Amino acid sequence: MLMPAVTLIGIFILLPMLLTVWLSFQDWSTQTPFSSASFIGLDNFREIFGPTSVGRDFKGALTNTAIYTALSVVLILPLSVAFGLMVYQHDVAGGTALRTVLFSTYMVPMIAVALVWSKLYSPSEGPLNQMLGLIGVGPQPFLSSPRSALISIVFLNVWQQVGYFTVLAIAGLTQIPGSLYEAAKLDGANRFEQFRFITLPLMRRTLLFSAVIAIINAVQVFEPVALITQGGPVGSTNVLTYHIRRVGIERAQGGLGSAMAVMLMLSLIVVVCALFALANRKNQE
Amino acid sequence: MSFAWTSKLALAAGLAILPASGWAQSVNISYLTHWSPETVALLEAAAKDYAKTNPDISVTVRAVPFGDLLTTLRSQGGGADGPTIGGIYDLWLPELARDKLVAPAPDAVASEVKGAWPAGVVSAASVGDKLYGIPNEIDVYALNYNKALFKQAGIAAPPKTWDEFKDAARKLTNKDAGQQGFGMINSWAAGVVHPFASLLVSNGGELVREGKPVLDSKQAGETFQLYEDLIKSGASVPAMATADANTTGPFLDNFVSGKTGMIIMANWWESALKTGMRDRFTDIATAPIPVGPSGDKPHAISYSWMTVVNANAGQAEQKAAWDFLAWLNNPKSGKNGASAMSDILMSMGILPSRTSDIEAHKDKLGSEFLSGYVSVLAGAKPFPVVPGGQEFSESLQQTIEALQYGQVSAKDAQATAQADATSILERAAK
Repeated sequence: MLMPAVTLIGIFILLPMLLTVWLSFQDWSTQTPFSSASFIGLDNFREIFGPTSVGRDFKGALTNTAIYTALSVVLILPLSVAFGLMVYQHDVAGGTALRTVLFSTYMVPMIAVALVWSKLYSPSEGPLNQMLGLIGVGPQPFLSSPRSALISIVFLNVWQQVGYFTVLAIAGLTQIPGSLYEAAKLDGANRFEQFRFITLPLMRRTLLFSAVIAIINAVQVFEPVALITQGGPVGSTNVLTYHIRRVGIERAQGGLGSAMAVMLMLSLIVVVCALFALANRKNQE
Repeated sequence: MSFAWTSKLALAAGLAILPASGWAQSVNISYLTHWSPETVALLEAAAKDYAKTNPDISVTVRAVPFGDLLTTLRSQGGGADGPTIGGIYDLWLPELARDKLVAPAPDAVASEVKGAWPAGVVSAASVGDKLYGIPNEIDVYALNYNKALFKQAGIAAPPKTWDEFKDAARKLTNKDAGQQGFGMINSWAAGVVHPFASLLVSNGGELVREGKPVLDSKQAGETFQLYEDLIKSGASVPAMATADANTTGPFLDNFVSGKTGMIIMANWWESALKTGMRDRFTDIATAPIPVGPSGDKPHAISYSWMTVVNANAGQAEQKAAWDFLAWLNNPKSGKNGASAMSDILMSMGILPSRTSDIEAHKDKLGSEFLSGYVSVLAGAKPFPVVPGGQEFSESLQQTIEALQYGQVSAKDAQATAQADATSILERAAK
């Protein structure tokens, strides 16, 4: 019987989504009842893509979120596979301990991660700059420059998430039969060829799953921005979740905030569908 | 008589003799603030004092970082279970009142406030003719400078004009030592906009006149140009200017560690400076904002804070909240004729706004650091409190930061700031 599941999904998932879509066409303050909302058609969407500060801030936040997501995925996936390969070898002493250490970063609360990394990045007394100084590199601005602030937040994210994705990669590696590697060895395949023609193709499903989860996690980034940079400097770390909170809650502009949330949702759907389509095409090939 | 019967009788007797007040409904109210743990402890101590004479009212204090204060008020203030009392920045009041999140003050409180606080402060706590909050602190901006660095650079006195200011900033800059002449602030709206606005009003300009932005004025153009000059000359380094959610961070660290010669900041950061500098705090002095080429005399921006009551709280909670606030701000609740609130504020170096509190704290307000602020208070211009003010402030912050990082020229920054402000204030006024 599907009725209970359908009802629960309808109430807790579909209804809030439909409500957000409906609100995106309304002029509505989040502090007033839904009944006070008035229909304004596509005005909210025109505004967020328009030339005023509302539009500039939204487009900036959308771009920042896209860059943050792309960089996070591009760094996390290869690193997780590399760590997975290193840790998965049965004959390496301390493999389990290494696995635990890698996963532990994922268990540290973001508030602690943010506090520690904000100090690591400190321009004056930060250990990172002190270490760079030892090798003759001058102090780097990290979070203080619009050029490097977003990338610095990406590194923080990669550090925290890579352990979790390593565990996923290991799970994928365990699914590959050892006999394939033995056969490849007999055929004279070296390590790189084994990786290129056995490991990578057979990990495609795992990597697809990891990519989707990494994208969703990255799009939802909020805490490091709220705790460390407040979206600055010059809006360079102003990501969409943080911006929607500012518009929808701080300024109580519920209609505009909903329009932004709808665009975020649509962007996520498009990216994830494109990823699945690409994977399907590869499978068919 | 059996033990069971004895127990029942004792229980019945005990219940019968309980004082009526014990059965009177006790009221729990909560107070939301952004203060530090040390200051929260002082507020909790004051609440305990209040409870001695009002045992039926219990006050709990909750603190969140400044960056989360408005969000918390907006997200939790819509319900009866949200904070009963909130400490708010005056710029937020028009929209909180419009959205009916804050309650108008009862007549008795309103008349007390109107008689005991300066008119300008009362007006910042009002929307139309209704008073919504009890004002507590007033903050004003001034030039803070490091006397030791001034001495090293051979500068005898703080700058009085923009020319002297630029000259001092140049002399105080030492790139090899990582030292900047003038410290700007970024990544924090008020930290960016208030010093800029202080220089603007000291140049005879304004941000908003009669509800409309006037950033297209000659005076505003000169202020944007001053920023561009300071950045281009290297006398101000934007990478040394970032702030975090607690309104601390590199901008503060650099001033505390003697890597910033001058900065424009409000009086409330005295406690942060004292904590960071300890004995070297005596190196810091305060001076009026330098006067620009189009200005006549020094001015600065001021703003105030107030405590408001949640309009969605129950009637009993609202009544208890106003009673507690009236007590907290009353000259009898503190020491030597000062209110308990002003004692708490003065522990942070914050100027109280009640007239009797200023008189009661006359000695401490005469300190070298604070007297510089008190002296500019009379000529200060309140930051415009208009609907859309917070969005306007954040938008201007983005433009000034873009100028700081060389992404736009002074001319483009001025044009963008005026266009954005016009669109934001027009939309908010609808």
